[in-house]
Amino acid sequence: MSILTDLRIAAVGDIHLGEDGRGHYRRKLQGIEERADVFMLAGDLTRHGTLEEGKVVADELRDLPIPAVAVLGNHDYHSDMEHEIAEELRDAGVIVLDDDGVVLQCGDMKLGVVGGKGFGGGFAGKCASEFGEREIKNFVAHTRSIAEAWKLALKEIVADERVVLSHYSPIKETLEGEPAEIYPFLGSYLLAEAVDTAGADLILHGHAHKGSPKGMTPGGIRVRNVALPVLGRAYGVYCLDCENGS
Amino acid sequence: MEAPQYVAARVQQALAEDGRTNELGIRVDIRGDQLFLRGQVSEVEQRTRLGQVAHETAPELRLHNEINVVDATEPGEDEHLD
Ligand SMILES: [Fe+2]
Ligand SMILES: [Fe+2]
Repeated sequence: MSILTDLRIAAVGDIHLGEDGRGHYRRKLQGIEERADVFMLAGDLTRHGTLEEGKVVADELRDLPIPAVAVLGNHDYHSDMEHEIAEELRDAGVIVLDDDGVVLQCGDMKLGVVGGKGFGGGFAGKCASEFGEREIKNFVAHTRSIAEAWKLALKEIVADERVVLSHYSPIKETLEGEPAEIYPFLGSYLLAEAVDTAGADLILHGHAHKGSPKGMTPGGIRVRNVALPVLGRAYGVYCLDCENGS
Repeated sequence: MEAPQYVAARVQQALAEDGRTNELGIRVDIRGDQLFLRGQVSEVEQRTRLGQVAHETAPELRLHNEINVVDATEPGEDEHLD
């Protein structure tokens, strides 16, 4: 017998909480457990990446009624406190991915989530390559090693559905609305290539505040830009149809 | 006189790099002696700070702070992916 169950994922990126956000953000999440099985945060949780802001985010997300999975964004790295911020979030019960994966039990379903901040470099045909100055080579090599880690993590994970959570974009369709000149700083096709190779059911990202909500990888995996200014609402809810053969 | 493009670029850098704002997605346009800020933020205070930093960077220009404040509270409609 096979039954269809929906796996409901609430997601948002770029909430950019400052210290004046304390005590305000949590009310937006009221009742989230009735709408979704899991909450995903696609990075840029803080404004300047200070430890104080990290603590605000951790307190606002503390002990949510559903599991929360997060990655950090470039803003969360700005003050070189990314590890400390991640620890604050983990202490508050948030799962923080850093180019690795986790499997969550949602009812009868196993949901695998793989991801991390991601990085830039641009898109096939119009991208940086590992050539020339050390600075450019380091830039591209950083993205390449991230993509490699995601591919490995996706291949290792055993789950009914697999979602990739990133800050930077794997495709350019969800960047439409941003100036084309800055696409190389908004994402990289290497991320999409890695996920297409290993396979996944959905990719969520943020970062492109002026981008577009929907796109698809060359391999046909759905991509959603969940940056708060793009959603224009507290979070989006994405339902994966799961066929649960038993 | 400095070309307006350079002034606009300097204002945009200031909005991104100033610790009070660190806002990357603001559009800065200069027409004559007028400075226009456009974009979207989630708090009124942030809009005010952006105006302040822009004014300090180019005090000779008349500032028009046209940034929108969008405070998203409702979760909205579900999307079914099948
Ligand atoms: Fe952001
Ligand atoms: Fe970002």
